[in-house]
Amino acid sequence: MALSEIDRKILQRLQTNLPLTHRPFLDLAKELELDEDLIIERVKSMVEGKYVRRLAPIINTQAVGNSATLAAMQVPEDRIDDVAEVINGYSGVSHNYLRKGKNKELPLNIWFTMSAPSQEKLEENIKEIEDSTGFKVRMLPTTKKFKIGVKFKIY
Amino acid sequence: MTEDLDIKLIKHIQDGIPLTKTPYKDMADGLGMSEEEVIGRLKALLKNGKIRRLAASIAHRKIGINSNAMTVWKVPGERVDECGPIMAAFEEVTHCYERPTFPGWEYNVFTMIHGYTDEECENVIESIKQKTGLNDYVMLYSEREFKKVGVRI
Repeated sequence: MALSEIDRKILQRLQTNLPLTHRPFLDLAKELELDEDLIIERVKSMVEGKYVRRLAPIINTQAVGNSATLAAMQVPEDRIDDVAEVINGYSGVSHNYLRKGKNKELPLNIWFTMSAPSQEKLEENIKEIEDSTGFKVRMLPTTKKFKIGVKFKIY
Repeated sequence: MTEDLDIKLIKHIQDGIPLTKTPYKDMADGLGMSEEEVIGRLKALLKNGKIRRLAASIAHRKIGINSNAMTVWKVPGERVDECGPIMAAFEEVTHCYERPTFPGWEYNVFTMIHGYTDEECENVIESIKQKTGLNDYVMLYSEREFKKVGVRI
């Protein structure tokens, strides 16, 4: 399935809030000059086709009382897979990547984000990862937010 | 309104709302609440910031947005408040944060840049350099994705 013009139009709009009304897709239909049934059908199809991960509330983990941090590790090549697996084992880990500096080499190569119900639990998890892998975890929590968007330009 | 019911509501729909003509009515039925209560709670959760948005999360790679450059910048402390908003103003910059430094790590401002190509990301980086005069940065491209899921409660 390739995305049609209509799909792109719907996706662009759906990256911002769905109306909180009795018939939200009807409101969208009026706004986009499309048909309500068509919008619902296309959204379902884009979810099934995995173009859309989900249409759901995007949770501010800290505002609901959780603690969160970005974390980075320096892991040698031959240990990357098993360390990544240990990190992935935590349900509070939402992102986990191997990253490489393009214009400059940096020692830190595994980057992940973790949230936990409390700061104490977060630090406990991090300590566990250090103990079970044998590598130091650097915590880089946000000290100031300038932007949190994740709205993509859909061509 | 108890917090517990808000959490119950979020948990009920965090993997996706019903894709029906009346999604709030349908979630209300599943939760034993009224449609008005569901809408009211969601409005309040958006207002108090516990929910950032009720919106589609797109699979950016599948859409063709294949490049993601986490770019870290060394910004003098007194220039952070001036440079942060300049970086954040770019559409391709989806996240922009200040983070702590430690011995051996002096990059204090993080920008997540998404683009259809590496070139598109690098054009943004070039513009940021020109607009801020900053020159010490590292583009960290993702080589492998081990995990990428939405934040759950």
